[in-house]
Amino acid sequence: MKFAAVKPVSRVLARELAVTALLLVGVSVVVFAILYLAPGDPLHTLGVREAPGLPRSWYGHYAAWFGKMLQGDFGHSIRTGLPVLPELARVGVNTLTLTLGSLVLTLLIAVPIAVHAAAHGDTAGNTAATIGAYILSAVPVFWFGYLVVYVFIHQFGMFPLISGTATKQAHAWLYSLVPIFVLGTASGTLSEMIRHLREELQRVLAEDYIRTARAKGAPVWRHAFKEGFLIPVTEIMSAKIPFLLGGAVIVEQVFNWPGMGRMAWQAAQDRDFPVIMGIALLAAAFVRFGNLLQRVVFTAVNPRASQE
Amino acid sequence: MRHYVQAPGPVGEFSQLTLWQRAETLDLVYVGYGLLVVALVLASYLLGAFGWLPHDPQAINVGLINAAPFTPGHLLGTDFLGRDLQARLILGIQAYFLPGLLAITISIVGGCVLGILAGYRGGWFDTIITYFDNLLDSFPRLVLILLVIAAFKPDITYVMVVVGITGMPVTANLIAGKIAFLRQKNFIEAAHALGLPAHTVVLKHILWLNCRALLVIQATLGMAEAILVETSLSYLGFGVQEPAPSWGNMIQAGANYFLQGHFWPSTAPALAILAAILGFQLLGDGLNSLLEGRRRN
Repeated sequence: MKFAAVKPVSRVLARELAVTALLLVGVSVVVFAILYLAPGDPLHTLGVREAPGLPRSWYGHYAAWFGKMLQGDFGHSIRTGLPVLPELARVGVNTLTLTLGSLVLTLLIAVPIAVHAAAHGDTAGNTAATIGAYILSAVPVFWFGYLVVYVFIHQFGMFPLISGTATKQAHAWLYSLVPIFVLGTASGTLSEMIRHLREELQRVLAEDYIRTARAKGAPVWRHAFKEGFLIPVTEIMSAKIPFLLGGAVIVEQVFNWPGMGRMAWQAAQDRDFPVIMGIALLAAAFVRFGNLLQRVVFTAVNPRASQE
Repeated sequence: MRHYVQAPGPVGEFSQLTLWQRAETLDLVYVGYGLLVVALVLASYLLGAFGWLPHDPQAINVGLINAAPFTPGHLLGTDFLGRDLQARLILGIQAYFLPGLLAITISIVGGCVLGILAGYRGGWFDTIITYFDNLLDSFPRLVLILLVIAAFKPDITYVMVVVGITGMPVTANLIAGKIAFLRQKNFIEAAHALGLPAHTVVLKHILWLNCRALLVIQATLGMAEAILVETSLSYLGFGVQEPAPSWGNMIQAGANYFLQGHFWPSTAPALAILAAILGFQLLGDGLNSLLEGRRRN
């Protein structure tokens, strides 16, 4: 099994890398097109001129702009004058903590519920859970954030009120759990995760090879793990990354979290093109990278599927 | 990963059943609640458009701030300036209703064109549309919208164009899947054999007769998306500006009083958003189950 998986993984990896590269070029074209069409010639503020020898046209512009970015030059923020790329790296870490943290937290909540529901079949609570999931997915994140702050921090004093202050507070890191929790549960992330995991696991548990394993007395979970758990988990994680990054814009605003989302908000306020452009490109790169990882796991687990 | 799976549509045994035979109780509850929300939103939109409001939505009354619901004269209470919340909630619908219809129109029309090209022509078009789909999925939508806002201006029309374009691939995939399913059917083959022109087959026999339910469902789900985006943006300060009300900026303004325990001024619009988004989503999913015989989840 392992040996059989080696060749397809490398081949699919090559193909997926090519597709990812192609999509990233497409992403840059979209961002470029928006900036190119914008009034006031924002590309000019990025210091983009036609490269020498290229015709004065949009593709000359694009080539010059893309060339600069390949060299790691994303320009300087108009507001602060700082180079964009190091700034993005600085706040990007915070956003990664927030989004990956909320992915892990929602998984920790979703997996036991989904596994229990799949193993014990449909119960009377299922309808209630479905309706609950609908309601949870329609709650506005920003209001939910205030509600959580009010209930858990203000009323019960369970978490420190502010983090990241100059004076060190005891257990200030606990505070970061609050925005992570809000981002993870709101806008349907949690409910969709539970639903997807439960359905996939139920589908796999109904397969013939699981019935055979059961009949033999072999451990069912070990047989169902790859198809019924690993693949759906990576699938839902990769699919949720763009939603979480979008949600991070709002959650970071509610909780004053110094991340990419807040920076994007500030940049949109100031029409700080180099910054918002960098954030859009970086966010898309995150999404594509997560998708690439998912494809790799999928191929490694299921080499047959790659031999189309 | 798509949440939609193409199951046999209303062609075949399923379409032989009457609506009542198909309906499960839960579907009827979903659709009933959804229709109620649509009626309320539509009626409130018209009330706001004609200016028939229970109160002046801007009138400040510092003698009666943060009033609870069912205060005499103010059915839904007042906000932190004593402005009538009911009037402001009704007027807040102006912020998203027409722009939402714009986004829906773009995503439906664009999605139909792309879906027909992919499903009917296939081949290269299919590859291109998959690429386009993946490309649009790469951007967190709010980040893309903020980019457009920074490049152009914080105008709801631009925002809704982005929402419409990013909504196109979902509709396109559904239409393409539907066409792939329908092409195996005898009546399409018969239409071709009769020598009907391609546009008649596509527009009448495929799109109008077999996809209109699907498009209505996509439109209702699209309105839920539009509400989500508009309220998020006006919360972030890029939408309707105070003192003009929008559900998003009402939450934002009311939030300053949340920690003092006056949670109603921002909770009322939050409940309105919740009820409205829930209504459009449940209507879409209920109709999906009723007309198309499948559940989204």
